[in-house]
Amino acid sequence: MISPAPAASRGLGRLTLDVRQDLSPWKQTAFVGSSLVFGLAISLAILAAAGIPPLTLASELAAVLTAENLRGVLVQAAPLILVGLGASLAFRIGFWNLGIEGQMIFGGIFAAAISIYDVGPQATRLLLMGSAAALGGALWVLLVVFLKRRFRVNEIIATLLLNYVAMYFLFHLLYGAWQDAKTAFPQSSPLRPFERLGDIGYGINSGLLIAIAGVLAAGWLIHLSRIGFYTRFISANPRMAKIVGVPVQAATLWIIAASGACSGLAGFVNVASQEGRLTQSYANGYVFSGVLIAFLSRNDPVVVAVVGFLIAVLFITGQTLQVFYQIPLTMVQMIEAIIVMAVASSEFLIRHRIRWLR
Amino acid sequence: MASALKLVGIRKSFDGALALDGASFESRAGEVHALLGENGAGKSSLMNVAAGLYAPDAGSISIDGVPIALSGPAAARQHGIGMVHQHFKLVKPFTVAENVLLANPRPHFASGIRNIRAAIEKQVGELKFSIDPDRRIETMTVAEQQQVEIVKVLVGGAKILILDEPTAVLTDAEAVGLLEIVQRLARSGTAVVLVTHKLQDVKRFADAVTIMRGGKTVATLDPRKSSAEELTELTVGQTLPLPVRTPHQGGPTKLNVGALCYTRGDGRTMLNNTSFHIRAGEIYGIAGVSGNGQAELAEALIGAIEPSSGEIWLDGTGDISRASQAKRREAAIAAIPADRYTYALAGSLPISDNLAVAQIRSGRYGGLIKLDRAAMRRDAATAVKDYDVQGVRSVGQKASLLSGGNAQKLVIAREFSRQPQVVVAHSPSRGLDARACAAVHQRLIAARERGAAIVLISEDLDEVLSLSDRIGVMSRGAIVGEFERPADRQAIGRAMVDHG
Repeated sequence: MISPAPAASRGLGRLTLDVRQDLSPWKQTAFVGSSLVFGLAISLAILAAAGIPPLTLASELAAVLTAENLRGVLVQAAPLILVGLGASLAFRIGFWNLGIEGQMIFGGIFAAAISIYDVGPQATRLLLMGSAAALGGALWVLLVVFLKRRFRVNEIIATLLLNYVAMYFLFHLLYGAWQDAKTAFPQSSPLRPFERLGDIGYGINSGLLIAIAGVLAAGWLIHLSRIGFYTRFISANPRMAKIVGVPVQAATLWIIAASGACSGLAGFVNVASQEGRLTQSYANGYVFSGVLIAFLSRNDPVVVAVVGFLIAVLFITGQTLQVFYQIPLTMVQMIEAIIVMAVASSEFLIRHRIRWLR
Repeated sequence: MASALKLVGIRKSFDGALALDGASFESRAGEVHALLGENGAGKSSLMNVAAGLYAPDAGSISIDGVPIALSGPAAARQHGIGMVHQHFKLVKPFTVAENVLLANPRPHFASGIRNIRAAIEKQVGELKFSIDPDRRIETMTVAEQQQVEIVKVLVGGAKILILDEPTAVLTDAEAVGLLEIVQRLARSGTAVVLVTHKLQDVKRFADAVTIMRGGKTVATLDPRKSSAEELTELTVGQTLPLPVRTPHQGGPTKLNVGALCYTRGDGRTMLNNTSFHIRAGEIYGIAGVSGNGQAELAEALIGAIEPSSGEIWLDGTGDISRASQAKRREAAIAAIPADRYTYALAGSLPISDNLAVAQIRSGRYGGLIKLDRAAMRRDAATAVKDYDVQGVRSVGQKASLLSGGNAQKLVIAREFSRQPQVVVAHSPSRGLDARACAAVHQRLIAARERGAAIVLISEDLDEVLSLSDRIGVMSRGAIVGEFERPADRQAIGRAMVDHG
């Protein structure tokens, strides 16, 4: 136990921090759960102050679960789950990928390129677009890996700033070569029907299938495969991993590429289902959502699916609140931030025990 | 002369490991009092208690004969205790005056800085130092930074000055210069405590010496009246009975280390043409005062660092000094590093994973697609039983929950699971109790009997003497002497310090 010098001792006793050796998974879950409740309570209080009584909120949340709204939630959930996977895969090995938006943009651009240059037969067009999107996302993040290994550039800064490079490259295309000739709007021409992700029945979009496939693949990669076993050692103790013969460099590279591919696919899903064309804003705000989902799911791909769905519920509810109660979008983002902070502090409580000594 | 600092019966343990076991110490004003001992003897821990950094579990502290309780470093400073740590506590982008002000706060910054600058200049003049209060720390040499540390403590009004291994970072000439100044400081009435493991410094500059071993203070004497042999013996302890083993057969050379060189990131040369060879069925012990390149040699052998030149030649494989870990594993090199939780175990992962990780590549636990967790658990249960790892409730529990000795057994179980040809063991019994220590030694002897070549790097001379067939003494990154078994303990001790 590490007991630093007393923080304060002014008659009331003193506060000490001990490092916990171990905590059962159940108690850890309880800590995360109660922090989540705490964060939600604060959010409710803020919304109440903004003029939305908790009961109205509850009825709005219940309304989300009607079939019509649920479809909207599932459409929203697909890209969220994919960016959640992208973030959690990278975070598992301590690579702080904040370039999800840039990777989504390149995923979208690569997919759109297949459409614009009319590559391959109609039957396999979507498959080709999806593969190109995954490749685009992976290449964009591997650029950062190169910068990190060759020039020791910090990946947090590199991934984050390359988002802007990707964004302006997208603008360059949309205001230039790929601009829609008919409308002269800064958008690409619409995708053809066979290039769009359609419904698979019950009004559910096939983008969700891609997300589910991603969850299964990432779950296999992390929990069952050999690379997944390596990643646990790489994140737990990289120096030790190297000494005992774990191929640290190679395993890291594959996981980061997978992370970029997931984000690229999220870009493809947004372009090919919701937007139906390359727009300026199909990647906006997804870095934060990806980090949030990875964080709440503690980087477990299977949990990402659940959390991604819940965040989609929050989004849709937020949209309703915006339309019917004039709550600004920033309010929804603030609630997200409050939840992140609440869960972050639970991490501290899991690692430390606070005691009051008299 | 009056007692300045007195510590009686100090005990301190960290997470169950006893660092100080009833240590006592007394220094007087006007004296340089050396605290001598090997690495891990508890010297720094004892002085950290005196400086208010560690709260002792038991024992008492008194200053000038008055018992006191220290609530923290600030309280120690108020009582006139100042400590210069081995690793300097300076803010690099700040100037000298700003650093001194930070440690000795004044109510107002502008007048404080003026006030501090005057105080620095006064101290610098008295000590005949050469530091400018307005220079930034990052532009100064290590020796100059150390002067800043000393001035910082003296400006705070320290009457008791503790220097923790002050000469470790200095050249010989700088060290002599510093110790002469320290001696002068003592003559003017300061009580100086010199924490060191260098016998020569003690003989030359100390008025009294207290020797520590295993968390206890074993003797206090006058260094001028005691011989170097006497001090060495007290520091390293008495010879223990040796374990039974067969005489060495003298097999073919298995490992040859040739002219290995390594320069650390900060420019210090840690390995300077290190050369030795080991035959099959031989334990080659490497003795030396810590910090003479042993850690770097072990890291080069296990592949944690890449040497700048030289070779590590292995029978049947060739030079492995730059080989990949996979190739080293193939060559059956077992690594038992000194720092278990940095180089050998992932504490947050299960015992079974820690055991299996070295053999994942071989396909023993399934292919790329799916791992065979049941086989991992089965093998782990067997290994835990065979190697007598205690305190295992399930092989799924975290490795960090094991005690030091059992964690070490776990490392050995993994490393020995494939009949190693070469074993690199660095302080393999550090922090272990007698029983665990004996078990580790027994495993090393067993590997020797099987024909493996074993490098045993240890700061514990007893361990080296009792296990080794030959002993190389390491000093300043090179092997400066070799001794055949049975080696003369005093001769080795002299070789260690003569070059140190």
